[in-house]
Amino acid sequence: MADQPLWLTFLVAFVFMNALLIGMAYMTYFERKVLAAMQDRMGPTRTGPKGLLQPIADGIKLLGKEDLIPAAADKWVFFFAPLVVFVTAIVRVAVIPFGGTVEIFGRQVNLFAADLNVGALFLLAFGSLGVYGIILGAYASANRFSLLGGLRAAAQVVSYEIVLGLSLVGVFLLSQSLSVRQILLQQQADLQLGPLSLPNWFILSQPLAFVIFLIAGIAETNRAPFDLPEAETELVSGFHTEYSAFRFSFYFLGEYINMIVLSLFAATLFLGGTDGPGADRYWGLGLVWLVLKLLFFLFFYVWLRATLPRFRYDQLMGIAWKVLLPLVLVNIMVTAFIRLVGNGQL
Amino acid sequence: MPWDVLVFYLLAAVCVLAAGGVVVATNPVHSAIFLVLCFFNVAAVFVMLGAEFLAAVQIIVYTGAILVLVLFVLMLVDPDDLPEFHAARPVQRAVGVLLGAILLLEVGAAILNRTVVGQQGNATPANVAAVGGNVQALGRNLYTQYLLPFEIVSLVLLVGVVGAIVLALPERLGERVGQRRATISLGHPRGTDVAALPPGLDGPDGETPVRVASGDRPVATGSGRREATSELEATRELIMVRDADERTVVGGGRDSGRS
Repeated sequence: MADQPLWLTFLVAFVFMNALLIGMAYMTYFERKVLAAMQDRMGPTRTGPKGLLQPIADGIKLLGKEDLIPAAADKWVFFFAPLVVFVTAIVRVAVIPFGGTVEIFGRQVNLFAADLNVGALFLLAFGSLGVYGIILGAYASANRFSLLGGLRAAAQVVSYEIVLGLSLVGVFLLSQSLSVRQILLQQQADLQLGPLSLPNWFILSQPLAFVIFLIAGIAETNRAPFDLPEAETELVSGFHTEYSAFRFSFYFLGEYINMIVLSLFAATLFLGGTDGPGADRYWGLGLVWLVLKLLFFLFFYVWLRATLPRFRYDQLMGIAWKVLLPLVLVNIMVTAFIRLVGNGQL
Repeated sequence: MPWDVLVFYLLAAVCVLAAGGVVVATNPVHSAIFLVLCFFNVAAVFVMLGAEFLAAVQIIVYTGAILVLVLFVLMLVDPDDLPEFHAARPVQRAVGVLLGAILLLEVGAAILNRTVVGQQGNATPANVAAVGGNVQALGRNLYTQYLLPFEIVSLVLLVGVVGAIVLALPERLGERVGQRRATISLGHPRGTDVAALPPGLDGPDGETPVRVASGDRPVATGSGRREATSELEATRELIMVRDADERTVVGGGRDSGRS
């Protein structure tokens, strides 16, 4: 890790955030194409070759729409609520490492914006702040459907946040660090199982935590089959019913960026992030591995959306509190026990 | 002036202003938003002190969980129903001002006497770095030196959780309804004390419990199972709805309970 001037860090963060925005735009394209393929349709084809310019056209369209504010709305809260979702989503990319230190134009550049010693908690903390945008937007809209969506979001996020945080405790116990970068470095070692030499990815030592993290992550991002806060058939479209134009698109942006960040997070914590064959020789290859893992998770998100029906609300809460939480607590205890035995302290 | 001092004063100023906003705002939801801002700035001050773990926990626990639940409740309450937010209550105000003044004096005296700055502990930057960072240092201290207080605090929290579950249990709903599948309507009268309603005044349909004379109770849902109803148990009416057209009242007040 090279010491670098502050402006370089800002530049790196700027590049990452913009890459994330472009990635988000093409995530919508990816989702529509995959959904279309699964439903035997074509998806967007008209705008540009193979419909590749569709996300850009959508963005321009949203900019040109009229921005409506309900008469009964709480104006200031209505204004800033979508921004909360967007900002808390995009700021999380700062602690995700896209590689180690590389040399660009004769300068040592860190391929991460910040290496916080509580990086994983930072990600969780800003994930939990995002729900304010939903709740406050729902409240400010002065609409019953929105309010119901907001209430659902609040209860859902608070419940699944506990599961999400606890599912990572096993990883923290094994890596003895809360820094995302340290956790990544830990996984580049080899795991020796007798004659078998495997990469020390935490999905191998924490499979249960990985599955639970994935489920809780989907619930945290309000995606199908846990998209009850915006269930179209019951709540019109939930918390963003009254939002239009670019204010609406901030919610949209926030949701998709959250998906990407959570996928990056899962890839880094459980799948070895930039680790992969040849990644220690060429840093570009590490990035490719990370993007491949990211695409796997994003495909998984879309796949679930195309496959599963929405849960009923009591089922949703039941899964969190009665199934996932006990499982994750058992996982922590077993991991801690094995850790103690491995250290020879028991 | 060094940059960190400047940043600290900025954070502190926003924090104090936000705290003022919590008190001044007339809309309880706005108060909660100001409180979020205040907590967020406190977390930033923690970061400046090198206590990153405390900052993260401050955001996750206070801002991300507790205040979300506070907002959850506030959104369900019509601000007009909260007389404390509007009506001037002279006695309360006087007591509040008095207590506030005493607190201000205490804090002011402590600051002026420099007794706020206590003995320097052994958590110096060098010592913290020696054990590997503030997460490790905090963990070590909590689980060795302060193990007993830590465990007692968790026990107290556990009691709180159990208490909340006991309070949230419907009043022996399972016994009364038996195996019958039924949904509790949104007009569930929990929280609406029947006795507090002026007699003869019913709220909008489905919002408040409808008093039913003991004679003409409609379709006696589960009434066959109510022999064992004690007086303590049936203090509130419970509206059971199986579909939109039917509304029956199970377990009335004391008067209807003796029918």
